[in-house]
Amino acid sequence: MEEEVEKAVFAYLRKKGFRLTEIALQEEQTRLSSDASSLSRSESDAAKYYDGYGKLRSWAYNSLDSYRHELLRVLYPVFIHCFMDLVAQGHMQEARTFFQTFREDHEMMHLRDLQTLEGILSPSHLEEMELARLWRQNKVKIRLCQYSYELLVQYLHKTQSLAMLGVINEHINFEVYPGQPASMSDDSEAVSLIGTSQDLAREINQKELHWGLLEDSVEERMEKTLSESDKTEVDGNKEADTEDNNKKKTDGNKHSTAVNNKKKKDKVVGATGKTIRSESSMVSVPPRVKPELTLPQFPPEVEQSILEDLRNRVQLNSLALPSVSFYTFLNTHNGLNCSTISHDGSLVAGGFSDSSVKIWDMAKIGQPGRASNPQGENGSMQGMHSLASDEAKRPYSLLQGHSGPVYSVSFSPFADFLLSSSSDNTIRLWSTRLNANLVSYKGHNFPVWDAQFSPMGHYFATASHDRTARLWSVERIQPLRVMAGHLSDVDCVQWHPNCNYIATGSSDKTVRLWDVQTGNCARLFIGHRSMVLSLAISPDGRFMASGDEDGTIMLWDLSTGRSVSPIIGHSSCVWTLAFSCEGTLLASGSADCMVKLWDITSSMKALKTDDSKSGPASRLRLLKALPTKSTPVYTLRFSRRNLLFAAGALSAGS
Amino acid sequence: MSIVPKETIEVIAQSIGIPNLSPDVALALAPDVEYRLREITQEAIKCMRHTKRTVLTADDVDSALNLRNLEPIYGFASSDPLKFKRAIGHKDLFYLDDREVDFKEVIDAPLPKAPLDTAVVTHWLAIEGVQPAIPENPPIEAIVAPPDGKKMDHGKDDSLPIDLKLPIKHVLSRELQMYFDKIGELILGRADTPLFKDALLSLAKDSGLHPLVPYFSYFIADEVSRNLNNLPILFALMRVVKSLLSNPHIHIEPYLHQMMPSIITCLVAKRVGHQISDNHWAIRDFASKIVASICRRYGHVYHNLQSRLTKTLIHAFLDPSKALTQHYGAIQGLSALGPSVVRLLILPNLETYMQLLDPEMQLDKQKNELKRKEAWRVYGSLLLAGGSCLYDRLRLFPGLLSPPDILPWKTNKKIALTNLPNNKRKASSRLTAHQPPTKKLAVDPTGTNSQFPSTDGPATSSSSGSNPNHHHSHNSSNNNSSSTGNITNANANINNVSGSGAHGQRVAVSNVLRQAWKEDLDAGHLLSSLHGLFGEGIFSFIQPAEMHCFI
Repeated sequence: MEEEVEKAVFAYLRKKGFRLTEIALQEEQTRLSSDASSLSRSESDAAKYYDGYGKLRSWAYNSLDSYRHELLRVLYPVFIHCFMDLVAQGHMQEARTFFQTFREDHEMMHLRDLQTLEGILSPSHLEEMELARLWRQNKVKIRLCQYSYELLVQYLHKTQSLAMLGVINEHINFEVYPGQPASMSDDSEAVSLIGTSQDLAREINQKELHWGLLEDSVEERMEKTLSESDKTEVDGNKEADTEDNNKKKTDGNKHSTAVNNKKKKDKVVGATGKTIRSESSMVSVPPRVKPELTLPQFPPEVEQSILEDLRNRVQLNSLALPSVSFYTFLNTHNGLNCSTISHDGSLVAGGFSDSSVKIWDMAKIGQPGRASNPQGENGSMQGMHSLASDEAKRPYSLLQGHSGPVYSVSFSPFADFLLSSSSDNTIRLWSTRLNANLVSYKGHNFPVWDAQFSPMGHYFATASHDRTARLWSVERIQPLRVMAGHLSDVDCVQWHPNCNYIATGSSDKTVRLWDVQTGNCARLFIGHRSMVLSLAISPDGRFMASGDEDGTIMLWDLSTGRSVSPIIGHSSCVWTLAFSCEGTLLASGSADCMVKLWDITSSMKALKTDDSKSGPASRLRLLKALPTKSTPVYTLRFSRRNLLFAAGALSAGS
Repeated sequence: MSIVPKETIEVIAQSIGIPNLSPDVALALAPDVEYRLREITQEAIKCMRHTKRTVLTADDVDSALNLRNLEPIYGFASSDPLKFKRAIGHKDLFYLDDREVDFKEVIDAPLPKAPLDTAVVTHWLAIEGVQPAIPENPPIEAIVAPPDGKKMDHGKDDSLPIDLKLPIKHVLSRELQMYFDKIGELILGRADTPLFKDALLSLAKDSGLHPLVPYFSYFIADEVSRNLNNLPILFALMRVVKSLLSNPHIHIEPYLHQMMPSIITCLVAKRVGHQISDNHWAIRDFASKIVASICRRYGHVYHNLQSRLTKTLIHAFLDPSKALTQHYGAIQGLSALGPSVVRLLILPNLETYMQLLDPEMQLDKQKNELKRKEAWRVYGSLLLAGGSCLYDRLRLFPGLLSPPDILPWKTNKKIALTNLPNNKRKASSRLTAHQPPTKKLAVDPTGTNSQFPSTDGPATSSSSGSNPNHHHSHNSSNNNSSSTGNITNANANINNVSGSGAHGQRVAVSNVLRQAWKEDLDAGHLLSSLHGLFGEGIFSFIQPAEMHCFI
């Protein structure tokens, strides 16, 4: 209407030849309209977001029960984008009030993100902050059922709230599926909606994964000897035959080490592997896979000791719980950052914030007299050897070399080497026999949070603040592989028992599994709500447990990449996790001064029975909670005989 | 809009020598300052997590600054959290207390002690899933009792260290084994040494003894049955029981059923100790106290504990074929359980029992001096039981206790006071119950219960004849006679006395009294019946003030 009148007026003025009036009118008109629009935009933009979101929120909360949880999922990304839009448009004050008003809704699920995003106060911060950039650049994908989607579209059309429509169109991709809305328990999928990672995760998790155990492992050979001795028992001439077998086997080993002809070895091994599977087919034996790395051979005497341990292993299950031996660090003055225990429990190492690494030999602590004896004998020489005697007096061996706090230590499988990683960006290899530094590995650009020896030794993996995990071999000072992909610090790293994969946990709340051969990400696990601090992979290689800062422990199925059962296991950070040797128990140690033992087999059974349905309903069963005396638990390790070692520093004053 | 106000920026600017910061700059800087602070905090939290701490320290912030290639802020590193002080007069202005240090002081101060070096110690956090209650582990309120099968039969020898892997066996650490052996040795051999006292103290206090409880209970049961004639050992065992019961860290309920028989044996055994001279009464008393304390403490857990116990005891009490020593134990046990038990179980049977007991106590009917002595014992314990029951009844009615301060009563009191030494002796003898009741009570054999003065004479003679041991107790009986006569009269005519009183005050009091008596007539009956059976001896259980009411 108005436009027509205006047109008519202009036409009239032109017809009459009132040129100046026409120009004046035009000028006035443009000024007016621009004024009005700019005013209204700046004022109403903020209000539009505020009102629009408020209405959407109350609508979502009042929607039908069965669709509500799906619709509520939409709120969080809308909330974040509204906030960012407000910031981007320069409405700092409004953005802040908006954020504060609606923050509560999302605190339970996304506290960490909120805390980070809260700091955004200028458009430049949006550019700078990783998380914000991710949000801006990627679309969030939300799965909605048909009807929920229709409800949402209807609502948006009816209310004509363009701001909301804009945000939703711009930043959210809906994946509409037919049928009933998914159950509430699937919500965990919606927890971490960072960019395309959902898509990526699904894509990555489609990949093939050989989670089985290593061929030709000592365990396998042990089984083989056992089964063979069984067989020969039937034959009657047991002893001679087994001896013969052993001889043959060791011969074979020597042969293979000498020649190092992988093909040939594989052939032999493949044959034995088959026989095993056929023999014990009734028990679910994990499949065997070939090593992708060239792995070192254990010397025969070492192998013998492992076999001895395996024979003496205690069977653990929900009824037979392990014994726990606890190593308490005293007088650490808050300086102990990490600790580790060798497989047989004889060596304990600690990494300190004063850059030192200390190793205790528990066998020597039992006999305190021995260390001081030589000092008395060399009384006359004391002046000269005061330094040496001082050395001897110390009950531990002190390893100095790092120039920053030591964040992790790790023993090689036979405790002859120790790795330590530090905030000086280096990893150092120490010999426990010589008590000396052998190598310093440089490659990371930022503090190295974690370093772990592979189960077979020789290789190790590291995790760093530079958002990469790296794979090294002890004899090269450059990394063999760099695993990049995490969006934030890589906080912990763990080897798969078959040495073909390493798992990393990160501050971006995801856990990834990497193929050591290609260096590609093989699995992406999304579900944690805060920084992942600890990882453990079950001895059969199928399951992985991860613990985070909030005390949650999640169990993952490596083959499908799905979460088995999230549990609120502790009230504080889960520093360490360990599977028992048969994989029946999971032990977790935490800052709340508890060691907890969880039953894995029962939850696995539940998983297997309703594998067809969506699994995550089953939960881990707590078998036992063992409180310590104000000692946070830093390290847990099951020995080969299934004795559980734990270590922690007594925290004084609490 | 930022949590950092622009005033703060201005103050900081001034402090680093920029006097005139334009407000625009301050406004622009404020949000960025907040952002950087958050960034540093985030990194600092990461560092904190990797040093396995849950408290953020200045070191973490320094590490975070290092991560960002920034110069750390020096001077704040300290192991303690920084203490901010509030500036006086300003509500939200805080500062760090930063004292100026005098060099001289620092130099003169003695060198601080070198900090202790880091050390590693080991202990068992759990043995096959069970936490041993050793000092290194936190005290556990309630340890689940091990299943029954695993504890008893193996005695001491199964307590090998944990290499033994049969899951049924109860594993005992070597230290605990030694401890157990040592205690056993002390009990059996050297119970009179001061060391044994320390051992008892340790049993009552130490937190790590729970694994030993089954062994102790077995040991006690075993030794009690074997050493019934060895009084010192029994005593030592009972003291061990008492210590174990008083240990707050031990969860003893599951083992009570094993311990109770041994204790009850000590209480009601026919013969305890092999010599006549052995003071087996003392161990019965001690055992009765233990039993009572068990009932008090665990009665609510085992609701049938007390009923079973009383049933056992009352059987012992009511069986005439049982020895007097057993009766004594039963009475002691029942009376230790409290006055209400006495009232319900002993008093109804008292009269019949007294008829049974009477002949035993008389010189002419019971020739065996030992038996007679025992009978007197039983009599004493019955008196104590009845008396304490009466005392309890009276205590429930404090209205009775207010002594009316009237002249005649005062004179009465004087008279009573003259008796005091004698009464005291009676009381003490009765309280310990180690001696037969005083001879005045021996009047009862004559059967003339209510008339004291008349019985006085024969009483003295009979007691002096029958109880040579206790001659000394009653030479002042004649002094008493007048007062006791008063007492009896007063008692018999209590209502009359109170009613006939000419004083207004007394009327009021007596009204109260009457009320009270009405409400609790059985207490009155109780008194009279007890008096009927025991004579004057029962009065020593009435508090002096109450005595006034009766006199």
